[in-house]
Amino acid sequence: MTTHTAYAERLHHPPELAAEPFGDSALMLRVKNDDADFRRTASSRLRDVLLEVRPYGVLDIVAGVESLLVEFDCLAVTHEQLAQTIRLAVAGKGLEPGGASASQSLFVIPMVVSEEFSPDLPGVAEELGLGSEAVLQQFSSSVLTINLLAAAMAPMMGGVQFPGQVSRCVEPRTNVEPGSVMVAGTNAIIQPFPGPSGWKVIGRTPLTICDIREDPATSYKPGDLVRFEVVPEGEWARLEGQFLRASAASRQEGGHGDLP
Amino acid sequence: MTFPERAIGIKVSEAGWLSTFQDLGRENSEFMGVPCGGAADQHSAAAANILVGNSRKSTCLEIMGGRFAFTATQDVMCAVTGVPAEITVDGDLVAMWEPLCIPAGARVVLAKASGGMRNYMAFSGDLETARFMGSAAPESRMGFPQQLAPGQTLTLHSRYRGFTHPFLTQPLFRLPVPAPDFSPDVWTIDVVDGPETDRTPGIRKLLSSSHYTVGTKSNHVGLRLDGPVVHPEGLGEIVSHGVPIGAFEIPHGDELIILGRSRTLTAGYPIVAVAAKASLSMLGQASPGRKMTFRWISNAEAVEQYREQQRLLAHLEERVHALFAAVGLPVSAISAASPSPAAA
Repeated sequence: MTTHTAYAERLHHPPELAAEPFGDSALMLRVKNDDADFRRTASSRLRDVLLEVRPYGVLDIVAGVESLLVEFDCLAVTHEQLAQTIRLAVAGKGLEPGGASASQSLFVIPMVVSEEFSPDLPGVAEELGLGSEAVLQQFSSSVLTINLLAAAMAPMMGGVQFPGQVSRCVEPRTNVEPGSVMVAGTNAIIQPFPGPSGWKVIGRTPLTICDIREDPATSYKPGDLVRFEVVPEGEWARLEGQFLRASAASRQEGGHGDLP
Repeated sequence: MTFPERAIGIKVSEAGWLSTFQDLGRENSEFMGVPCGGAADQHSAAAANILVGNSRKSTCLEIMGGRFAFTATQDVMCAVTGVPAEITVDGDLVAMWEPLCIPAGARVVLAKASGGMRNYMAFSGDLETARFMGSAAPESRMGFPQQLAPGQTLTLHSRYRGFTHPFLTQPLFRLPVPAPDFSPDVWTIDVVDGPETDRTPGIRKLLSSSHYTVGTKSNHVGLRLDGPVVHPEGLGEIVSHGVPIGAFEIPHGDELIILGRSRTLTAGYPIVAVAAKASLSMLGQASPGRKMTFRWISNAEAVEQYREQQRLLAHLEERVHALFAAVGLPVSAISAASPSPAAA
């Protein structure tokens, strides 16, 4: 198949997009597909397409787990006009996952496991039918992808190699300490600032992952890769408060190539 | 007649209950997980800056409750907007929603705000402040409180050199000011359909026929209202998705939440209505105890209302520019150029 044919096929069969008004100045976009993983990947790609194309009238974009909320200037465009522009952009660019981009970084994030830092680890182990050690082993051998930046720039990551889904807390905590490493489903997230969360806390990183005195405030961005490394509690003091930066090797070479 | 910019000290002797630097909020930050934030009453904040010849997006002060007082080392021009309050210059009452020519050393006091949450004070020129993602707006959760403390001296870079009316000492400006009416006992807020409105039988009648009271746990993240609610029917789990400013959420309890500009960006609760864009500034002024009811309008009406609100601000902006140019008062080069797309 030639490149030309592939391109034409893509034009004729763009992924179907549902575009629903969310008030007078926002449009909710969802990729229609039966496969949740496909929807997630496609929404993430859709975000990149919109950030690149910047359709007229778009003010900002909020990434959901499998959706995108597009906020726009209602005096510049209507819901219908914007939906049409977005469908055209998608038809032209496609939503197939791109290859590893050159700017993709790898972050190796140290994490301390202790009774205090990992209150939900025994519960998660029980839910998955594994021992705590096995949970940590599977967690730290997973290469996670940052799907989106959630509240206060929290990196929401997919791809945890657990044998099943981890449920959320029945009663969400009103305050979770910064640095807490949390899981739900097969996703992981790090709490950048104190605040409430219903995710299960299994460890804590001594690093500062978001600091508004840095520019940008985080080194990571959607699409970057993360691996967690369980370190002894004795390492805490040495690493505490250091600003998280990409591992040097990944920044030089980029992409999946340098993963073990 | 233009003068070079000079640095002026503005000594804040009383800082009210909570006063911060403020502006219209961050742009292009939400895709990075940072809410836009910014003045909850965007209309009043924009008007304050327009009234002193600034760009709408300039840094101003947001003052919430109590007494706020300052003295400037040089002549300054300022304007105060927002809910009704008492403003005095060396003890003399002056008007809100007007450019005020403040002589060096005069003590300006803002007090007795009533009927709502916020006042906005803008100064002709640029207030020096830290910025996060390009904006002076507070983002307290991420460690950017931007709060003013009593005794603090702010730095203003201004080209203003004082102004006196040729015949009257106190200048009188007649400007077409679109000041909102905060006086009704029950505010009527316009809403449009939300994604789950049709799945929530009875919600239309309930919201438009009931009174809701703003609760004490309300803040810039959201207003929490006491009043009758109904829960949507037949909804499965809603996967976390982005939520617009003004979304009416009904969580599991019997509470109605209207999300503000510093909302958590994603949530999994049903959205039974969304406040019309032109009503958001009013919502941003609602203080605990405030009673409100809701009126359903179409999307087309919502857009028309917002167009009219922006037209009035643009009209004020034109008149201020014409007036200031005629009498030699400084006008921000940015605002004099082209208005934002929203104002077009």
